[in-house]
Order: sequence, then C-alpha cells, then structure tokens
Amino acid sequence: MKIIVDELGHSYGDIEVLKDISLTIPQGQIVCLVGPSGCGKSTLLRMIGGLERPTRGAVLTSGAPPAESLNPLTYIFQHFALLPWRSVADNIRLVLEDHKLPRKEQEAIIADVLARTRLSEFGHALPKQLSGGMKQRVAIARALAVRPACMLMDEPLSALDSQTRELLMEDLVSLWSREPFTAVYVTHNLAEAVRLGHRIVVLSRRPGRIHRMVDIDIPLEERHLGTPELEAHQAELWEMMRAEAEAADMELIDG
Amino acid sequence: MDDTRPLPRPRSQAGPGQTAVAGDAPGPASGPASGQTRPVRFRGGGFQPVPVRGAAIVVFVVLIALLEIGTRTGAISNLTMPRPSAVVETLWSLAASGRLWQHLAPSLMRLAVGASLGAVTGIAVGTAIGLFSYARAGLVPLISALFPIPKIALLPLFVIWFGIGESSKYALIAFGTFTPTVVATFGAVDSVDRQLIRMGQSFGLSWWSIVRKIVLPGAFPGILSGLRVSIAIAIILLVAAEMLGAQYGIGSYILEAGSLYDLERLFAGVTILSLLGLIVGWLIGLVERRFLTWRS
Amino acid sequence: MQNFIPTRRAAMALILAGTALTGATGQAVAQDITLGALRLTSHSPTYIALERGYFEDEGLNVELAFFESSAAMAVGVAGGDLDYGVTSISGGLMNLAQKGAVKVIGGALAEDPDVQGHVILASNAAFEDGVTEPAQLAGRSFGVTTAGSSFHYMLSRIAEGEGFDIADVQMKPLQKVGAIIGALSSGQVDGWAIQPSIGKRLVEEGAAHKIGDLSDYAPDYQVTAVFTSTGTAEGEREQTEAFLRALSHGVADYNAAFVDGTADEAEVTELTEIVHQYVSTDVDDARFAKDMAEGSMRINEGLSLSTSSLQSQLDWMQDEGLVSGDITLEMLVDPSYVETN
Repeated sequence: MKIIVDELGHSYGDIEVLKDISLTIPQGQIVCLVGPSGCGKSTLLRMIGGLERPTRGAVLTSGAPPAESLNPLTYIFQHFALLPWRSVADNIRLVLEDHKLPRKEQEAIIADVLARTRLSEFGHALPKQLSGGMKQRVAIARALAVRPACMLMDEPLSALDSQTRELLMEDLVSLWSREPFTAVYVTHNLAEAVRLGHRIVVLSRRPGRIHRMVDIDIPLEERHLGTPELEAHQAELWEMMRAEAEAADMELIDG
Repeated sequence: MDDTRPLPRPRSQAGPGQTAVAGDAPGPASGPASGQTRPVRFRGGGFQPVPVRGAAIVVFVVLIALLEIGTRTGAISNLTMPRPSAVVETLWSLAASGRLWQHLAPSLMRLAVGASLGAVTGIAVGTAIGLFSYARAGLVPLISALFPIPKIALLPLFVIWFGIGESSKYALIAFGTFTPTVVATFGAVDSVDRQLIRMGQSFGLSWWSIVRKIVLPGAFPGILSGLRVSIAIAIILLVAAEMLGAQYGIGSYILEAGSLYDLERLFAGVTILSLLGLIVGWLIGLVERRFLTWRS
Repeated sequence: MQNFIPTRRAAMALILAGTALTGATGQAVAQDITLGALRLTSHSPTYIALERGYFEDEGLNVELAFFESSAAMAVGVAGGDLDYGVTSISGGLMNLAQKGAVKVIGGALAEDPDVQGHVILASNAAFEDGVTEPAQLAGRSFGVTTAGSSFHYMLSRIAEGEGFDIADVQMKPLQKVGAIIGALSSGQVDGWAIQPSIGKRLVEEGAAHKIGDLSDYAPDYQVTAVFTSTGTAEGEREQTEAFLRALSHGVADYNAAFVDGTADEAEVTELTEIVHQYVSTDVDDARFAKDMAEGSMRINEGLSLSTSSLQSQLDWMQDEGLVSGDITLEMLVDPSYVETN
C-alpha cells in the first residue's frame, strides 16, 4: 500500500499552516518529515492518519492494505499515550478488543509483539513502573499488534533522553530490517532523520511547504552513530534549514 | 552582611596561615580559617506540609477535655454546651436500648438510595456534558443555576411532587448530590488526557469503547473526589429531608432534640452524623487505594 | 436607675454562667423591656396592651421581637435577648426550666368547655374512608410539628380518652403548621388538632372535616403560658407585676370583645383593627374580622394558670421519655405572680 498526499493545504481560520504539499510514501520505506517548529509537520501527519481534515487537497491510498492488517494507519505518539490504569499487556489488548479475535489469537499477538520489543517479562507491569524508553517500546509493540500497513510516528523519541533515544533507534532499525514496514516519521531532530529516513522531506516555516526532498540510499543497518556520510547529510540538511529555523524562532506565536 | 560574603575559594583552604585574598571578604575577617569556610545557610525550608501522625487526635482530645472541665466546673453554662461525658452516656444508652438502630437504619436507607440516585444520574449527565457539545451548551447553564439553590428551600415543592413519604426524602438527597456530582464529573471528563482519546481514535476503537475504556476510567479519580463532596452534602441534607414526616431517623432525632432543647441528645445525633461522614470518607479512601493504584 | 440596662445585661451574663442573680429593682423611669410575639390571634392581648398604652401606663417601654415559632422564643428568653414571652407549653420549655433558665409566671390560652376550642380534623380522604370520629384515628396518621409539641400532647389526650394506644397512630413530624396544613389538605396525613381560627377556615374551605372537639378530652388544657427568665422572675418583681397587669388588661379587652361577646360593636371593630395591624396583614378586613369573631379561644382572665394541666402535661412528657424525670412543677412554675388552680 502506498500513500499519496495530493496538493494538500490547510488553514486555521486566517492562518495558513500548510500549502501545496504533494508527496508519495512508497511501501516499505521510512519517510522523515523535518522542519522548524510550527511548520505544520505534526498537522500533516494527523491528516495522513485521518485524524484531521485538510482544507484543500486530499490524502489518498493506492492499493489495498494487507488483509491481515487490523488498523492500516497506526500512530506512535511522542508521549506514548498509554492508559495508566492498564498493564503493559492490557494496553496492547485494548487495541485488539474491538476486533473480535479469538482469545487464543489475541494472546498470541500480544506475546509476539512483546517478544519483538523485548518486553516479554513486563506484561504485568503498570506504565508508572516503566522508564520512558520502555513506555515507548510498549507503544511500538501496541502499534505492531494491529499489523499496520503504515506507521505514523510523531516525534516518537523526543520525550526521551539521548542515550535512550540511541537505544530505541537501534531497536527500530532492527525491527525494520527483520520485517520492513512503511512509516512516516516526524521529527525536529536531524540526527534521527538521517539514521532512519530513506527519504527526508524538509518543510519550510509557516506556511509549511516542501522545501527539499533528500534520499539517502545507505541501508539502515549500515548507518551508525558517527558514520561520516550521515554527518555530511546532516550538515547539508542543517544548512538548508538554518535560515528557516532562525526566522521561525523570531516569530510570535499566535493561535 | 554575612550572607553576601562570596564563597571561599578552594585554594584558601590550603593553609590556615594564609589570610583572605583581597576582595574576598569585605567585612572584618573573624579569623583566618573560620572566615573562609562555612556551611551554606539553609533556606529551603517550609511550604511542604508533611503528615503529622496523631495531631488530629490531640486536637480532639484537648477540645473535649476542655469542654468536660468547663462544664463540670460551671465555667461553661449547661445552657450553652452539654457535658461531653453526658453526650457519650446518651449515645451509649441509645445504642444499648436498640433505638440507635431504629433511627440509623431508615437514615442509612435514605442516604443510600438518595445518594446513589443522585450520583448515578449526576455521573451520567456529567459524562454527557463532557462528551457532547449540545449537552454542554444546553445543560451547563442549567446546572450552574441549580447548584446554588438551597435544596432545603425546595422542600415544600418536593412534598407536593413526592408526598411526605420516603420518596420526597430520596428526591431531596438525590437532588442535593446530583449537581455537585455533575460538576465534578464533567470537570473530570474534561481533564482526561485528550491524547489518550486521540490514541483510541487512531486505533479505530469504537465510540463506546473509547468512552468505556478511556474516558470513564480516566475520569474516575476526579469523579471519586467529587463523590466525597457529594456524599458529605447528602449527609447534610439528611436532616432537612427528615424534617417532613419522619418519625425515625438521625435527622429527626436531632430535630426532636432541638425542639426539646435537649443538648445531650442534640450533640449525640450530631456526633453520629460526624462519624457517618468519617466512615464514608474512609470508605472512599479505601476505594481509591484499591482502584487507583495506577496513579503515580 | 440610669445604669439599668448594663446591669441587666450583666445579670444575663451571670445567668448564662449558671450563677445566682442579685438583681436591681426600681421604678422611677420608664423601663425598656423586650417582648417576644408571634403573628397569631392568640397574641392579641399583647398588641392590644401595646396599642392602647397599657404598658406605658405601667411605666414599661415595650419593644416587640417577632418569632416564627414558639420554640425559638423560649430559647430567646433563656439566652437573655427577650424579657418575656408567651409560648405553648412544650418539652423544650420544660428542659430549659430544668436548666434553671426560664420560669412560667402565668397562663394564657386555655381550653374552656363553654368556648369553641381546638378542633379535631380529618382529611377529606380519611373522612370518606370512615374517620368520622376521633376514635377512628387509631391506625391512622396524625400531623404534629415535632415530638413533644402541643399537637403531640393533644393526640395523647385523644388516645387516652378513646382508649387506644398512641403507638397505633403514625405520628408525622412536619416542623411547621403550614406544612401540616398542606399535608392535611392533600390527604397525606389523616388527622390533626388545631386552634379554631385555622381549623374553622380549613373546614369552610372544604379542605378537611371536623370530627370532634379537644375540650371533650382535655377540658382544662392550658395551651400557652407567659414565661420569663428565672433571673427576671426572681429579681424583677415590680417590673414583672407591672407587665402582667398591663397584659391582663389587654386580655380582659380581648375576652370581652371576642370570646364573651360583652363588648359593643365599635369596641370589637377597634380591637380587630389593632390586631390586624400585626396579624394576617395580607387577609382582607372582613375575612379577618370573621376569623376573630368565630375562632378566638379564651385567654385566662388575670393570666391565671392551670397548674393541674401543667402537671398532667409534665407527667405525660416524662412518661414518654421526652423530658427528664427529675423535672418538677416547682422548677417550671413561679406561682407567686398569678392565681393558680
């Protein structure tokens, strides 16, 4: 399944936040959306996931999602969005309960995704007992449980400290390597973008437009902390964004 | 002026003979060593209440002891306050004669029926207000208008609607608990993390699943603390409810004692209401400890 | 006696402290007294004495304080805010007397077999259901303000007279006379006993049926009494006697005009107008005059007091456990002011 963003534009009242966005997310690839704060990248992600309606243009899918997919477009949130009153396993069960799966299959899915995110021992723990990194792994496990056709990741690592972020990036890479998934990955962190993105879309400041698209063709598993080519890409992206970010920083926030 | 003195440099600790570096100590140096190292003055105290065990009991005991001494010596007239020991005696004879239960049973029934009616409808309406724009726009002003009405003032109306039997008592207590429960519930629903609801939507959960599994459990702590207030109000209204046609009940017992100017019985009745309030508070605390372990 | 008022206040404080009083007496200048009143026709003598200057003649400068219920008035006297009050004899009054706070010094409203007194009523529904005589109140509900009130006592007299157990009657405490009227009119209580002024009106309006007269059960029932604080009764004899003389004068006028019918028409009209300034001001004149003429109970001449009725009320309350068994008639009454029987 492929996602096509077609001449999308959006305004909140008089304020235009997104303009003329056209973009294709190919199957099995991670597309990173980067841009200065307030450029509308999270808004764009919500529109791709159908949580918000664009004023102009449309988001289209081409090709049917895989038959076994329970929730083709699945989010991973910056602040994890775990129900604090449910245990780890029950948080995952939450998104399966509406699908009338046989009890056995439900348990099998939960066991599988917990194993893939290395959380098998923590099924009974409550979210308040978990570290930030573990919480986000639970959220990832929950997303995997519904076998998404495309994962929509909204700054998934921004709430974590840098060491944890590094570990989770490795986890994401190994998850993708074992079983490639399609993803749109929103971040303001260029290091994450160059490590995880097959394609990096740079948005301009408000109203957000596609400023540049950069494809990186180094396989994900070969990208590491301090890889020189990645450093170069990151520097190049920063040069592109610098002026925009500076200007965005000086803007007043209104609405 | 001591406070403004800069911290001594580590170097100055090297030898006691070394005097302060010029400019380090503007004031007169009190001594070579003591003038250079001293602990930083602690200024972070207060503003952090810590639980003090037994303080409440001490306050109670002291107050009651003062009353007992005052009434025994005659410093406090028997017209103004009853003797605490006489109140205890009255309570004891009330319990021993079985009349305590005769009064308590109907009151507990009225509280249970009235408060649960009010709480259940209050939670339902409060949730509706929290979820639906039309319910909010239409009902919030109505609830705000109903809230400050002294429910006792409506007693004659309730009697016309429901008679002087049990139903008017249930209705009065239910109405009194209804409005605070509504306000607490829709506040609690409003404060449920929107991100969690968005998460539910993003996973394609049905509307009913989102309400049942995300909104209501998320609002539960707020609803419970609202119930603490509502049930206290229900106990307050018990006396008002039993003003009309109640031959038995703690409220009617208090009213009768008041009209007889029997202070011992009056205070015995009031003590029972206080204890009732404490027990309800404790029960809600128990529910919180049992069901809200997930709160950090 | 320039400093009379402070002395009196100090005296009240002493009473509250439970200490014996050594009061001041004197008669030179007009004395200020505060008098508790209810807006009921049974308080007519107070209004008559005030408007006709009987209090002034006795050197008393009276200020009225209006109350909603007689129970509150009793507490007002005990607390020292009122000097004198007229209230129904109730458990509350007896308990306050036991605490040494108040004394009954005279009698007021009373049953008199020759005059229409309290009427016994049945609701329309109960009447149609066969409650046509007081004996049939057994097993029915009966309206009272509170336990230990005059209504409760009247029920006990009926029960005793008819030989049924008062426990067979469902007593409905409704706190206020207005609430009982509402409950009786709508058939939520079956029976009630009330002063003729209210009872007759209910019967005439078709809201209830008369099924008997209380005087058949309690012929000498002393309904209300004049009372004051113990300190005033013991320490302000001259002032108290002056007060009782003035009030008695009002009582004589009232009885002549409304009970015995010995006054001429002009007198009746004048007195009716005086009372109407204070009572039922929202009722039109003709209606009020009719109520006064037909529904006025006797108030004892000279404010004499039926101690035998008081004793029987006290006995009954003690039997019911409403007041302490330690209370005696001596605690309740100071018989030195008026004629007692």
